[in-house]
Amino acid sequence: MPDPLTENEQWILSFYRTSEINGALFFGRLARAMKPGPIQRDMTKHFADESQHAWYWTECINRMGAEPLKLSQAYQDKYLEAAGIPANIMEVLALTQTFEKRVIAQYARHSRIVDLQPEVLDTFNKIIDDEKWHIEWVGKALKSMEGEYGRDTIAESLERYRKVDEEVYGAILKEHEQRVAELMRGRGNHAEGKGPWPWPV
Amino acid sequence: MAVAGLKARMAAFLKLPEEKLKDDVLLTDLVTESFILVEMVIELQDDLGIQLMQDDLKPVRTVGDLVRVIDSKGSSR
Ligand SMILES: [Fe+2]
Ligand SMILES: [Fe+2]
Repeated sequence: MPDPLTENEQWILSFYRTSEINGALFFGRLARAMKPGPIQRDMTKHFADESQHAWYWTECINRMGAEPLKLSQAYQDKYLEAAGIPANIMEVLALTQTFEKRVIAQYARHSRIVDLQPEVLDTFNKIIDDEKWHIEWVGKALKSMEGEYGRDTIAESLERYRKVDEEVYGAILKEHEQRVAELMRGRGNHAEGKGPWPWPV
Repeated sequence: MAVAGLKARMAAFLKLPEEKLKDDVLLTDLVTESFILVEMVIELQDDLGIQLMQDDLKPVRTVGDLVRVIDSKGSSR
């Protein structure tokens, strides 16, 4: 039987799970709203991936002898609040790109905690390649939209969402300072010392 | 150029009777969550062959606002 999860670990893994579910719901609804074509196809795969990730985290928490916590807060909503509602698929994808980059950076950071439980590491390893593909396909899709929206307009949208990401991320860091610090101390030596906490998907 | 049947399309998407879509009704009062509006706007752009940007939608609050913005973009279909 693995080491029991600390309260903070249970919280953060539940947080990942909730965020993956929110991501799945977001992309699923977009996939449903889109007309047929390569973007609809990739968006559907993206939806399927995020659903799968939600299951992986659920399973991981269970394997560690715990239940996922019910967390109602959706951080995606904070992005939408701060950034404004995207008006078209290009803007949705620009927001997604920013978000996915944040996710992969934080998953990578969390996975480098030195004495991370093998169950958690295993879950990161199962997820990380999908997350890389998310950034890749969205990048390609944005490129393919340059004719329709203009390269500069797309660059402006990406820059706007990057700023929003910094704002929202900073605010969340502040909100959960205590928990983050404990999580990083919890299982001992973080590979990078006192780094930011793992960010949701 | 006015887009024909725009309110009917919106009503169909929102599964509401068209009479509910009065010009001064707040869009957010028609839905349980704002993401439904994102889906609707994306679908309307696909259907009508128009392109809306976030800046276009910034001042939009009511049904009438949205109709005016879409009308101002015209329609290719
Ligand atoms: Fe994911
Ligand atoms: Fe992802």
